[in-house]
Amino acid sequence: MTPRPVPSPSSEAGPAERASNISVRGVSKRYGRTLALDDVSLEVEAGRLFALLGPNGAGKTTLLHILSTILRPDSGVAEVAGVNVLTNPLDARQRIGMVFQEPSLDDRLTVQENLNFHGLVYGMSLADRRRRIEEMLELVELSDWREHLARQLSSGMKRRLEIARGLLHEPRILFLDEPTVGLDAQSRERIWMYLSELRARENLTIVVTTHYLEEVEYCDAVCIIDRGKVLAEGSPEELKAAHGKEFLRATALNAEAADRIHARHPEAIRSGNSLVIEVKDAAFAPAFLAAFAGELETVSIDRPSLESVFLTLTGRDLRDKKAEPRDIVRAAGQRGEASTG
Amino acid sequence: MKLLGGIYAIWLREVKRALRDRGQLIGGVSRPILWLLIMGIGLNPYFRGEVYGEVRFVIPYTYVQFIFPAIIMLNIMYTSVQSAVSVIWDREFGFLREVLVSPMPRWAVLLGKILGGTTIAVLHGSLVLVLARFANIPMGWLNVVQGLALMFLLAFGLTSFGIIIANRVRSFEGFGVFSNAVILPLYFTSSSIFPLDPALTRAQTAVLYPDWLIFLVSINPLTYAVDAFRGTFIGFNQFDPMLGLIIMGAMAVGFFTLALIDFNRA
Repeated sequence: MTPRPVPSPSSEAGPAERASNISVRGVSKRYGRTLALDDVSLEVEAGRLFALLGPNGAGKTTLLHILSTILRPDSGVAEVAGVNVLTNPLDARQRIGMVFQEPSLDDRLTVQENLNFHGLVYGMSLADRRRRIEEMLELVELSDWREHLARQLSSGMKRRLEIARGLLHEPRILFLDEPTVGLDAQSRERIWMYLSELRARENLTIVVTTHYLEEVEYCDAVCIIDRGKVLAEGSPEELKAAHGKEFLRATALNAEAADRIHARHPEAIRSGNSLVIEVKDAAFAPAFLAAFAGELETVSIDRPSLESVFLTLTGRDLRDKKAEPRDIVRAAGQRGEASTG
Repeated sequence: MKLLGGIYAIWLREVKRALRDRGQLIGGVSRPILWLLIMGIGLNPYFRGEVYGEVRFVIPYTYVQFIFPAIIMLNIMYTSVQSAVSVIWDREFGFLREVLVSPMPRWAVLLGKILGGTTIAVLHGSLVLVLARFANIPMGWLNVVQGLALMFLLAFGLTSFGIIIANRVRSFEGFGVFSNAVILPLYFTSSSIFPLDPALTRAQTAVLYPDWLIFLVSINPLTYAVDAFRGTFIGFNQFDPMLGLIIMGAMAVGFFTLALIDFNRA
């Protein structure tokens, strides 16, 4: 048994002293014959917006469920905000907020009742509940909907309500499992807006799982995970620098010019007068321009994208470019309901 | 203190959900009316036996009076077991997770849930009391208080029982089949609609009712629950009055413990 962590949430001095980091060491989890997590180790610094990126079935949700004490790992240690989730699950739960992939609101209760329920279950006083419900409803712009039953909300609004609920008890860490799946582009953007606002305001560590590459760009740190293993970790820039490839696209003025470029760079992919050449180092582009500047119609450089990072690391594209059947069903369900707004 | 707030929240949610479900309320009102005013009054004249040409009542009560306490139990049975559907609901629609990641210990979650179901069942049980004057049953305050306490005890045990079953059933449909396959047989074999002893002596019982039926009735714990209700409302007991109390108490404790073991494992 590890000793109980001394500080309690209320007795702590200032937000600056909060050490709400997450630490995962050697965690494995097996479902029957599939190894969902294979000796995963991770550190997340306090105040980060951290993304777990990977295709469906990569083990993201399993990891999140272990961190939120729903699931016990077969081996390894996991700590959230300095509390061991295995030996002290109740303490750990008080310090984390959770937004699940599947909706988990009671749709027969009103917006306000859902939040009040959460506050009571997390042991908040009446005054705290009143203040926080007000604040959170304002943040997610649902103040006018407080008396509505949860089932009357659109799915974008439901997701916002769940974020408000997850934050009601002032957790140090907020976990969101695929918070934007099944939402339209506008709602997705809004959710990211709230998240960045929150992080600035509440000194919160946010961990998001996603398989949308474009969303990862909002994050400070990304962990790419596939088939239960951590493949790479770092800021989006670092990952691109380490694993992404940069490409130069050039269109030559005429076929002769294109031939000359191709002769110099035989590895280039050529179609007509256009060529795509992999950029190997920083000196490449200036040298290329010096050599061919007069013979080019256009020239552009594709910065490495996370997409190419993912491709390089896993040797395949994100599996679910197409919507999964469940998303399609869900989206159809949404269309029947009120508009997202 | 924190824990009480959490249990209160779970209780309140169960009660609110049940009260907002019109169908359940309609069932709770129409069931006793049907059983008492139609079946009860309809069979009233036949509830007597003819012994050597002399017409006499089997027991010194009318049939409506006799089944009145059993109808209270029937209403509680349906409502308690129905409240377990909310367990399946929570699992299917994800709300269970919201509770499982909360800092409430599992036993407190379960207790809140069972108390919520119990409250609604007691409410439905007391709806029957409104019909007491149609059954010609005098209702004193003492009867009501004592009756409510017994209803609470029975409802607590039955709600826990419903939750044990709900933990083993994967679908709403499965649960519907279960509740019909279990509630009515248990109800009919609890000496609810006929007295265990149709005559006044043991010898006649053996002649008139087959052994297997008497056996079923005597091993059904609800037989003793109905008996306790009868003792309270019409002052008629077929068994030791304490037996009903003991058996209902044992059901409440036993089923709650089993439900808790299940819930801790989930």
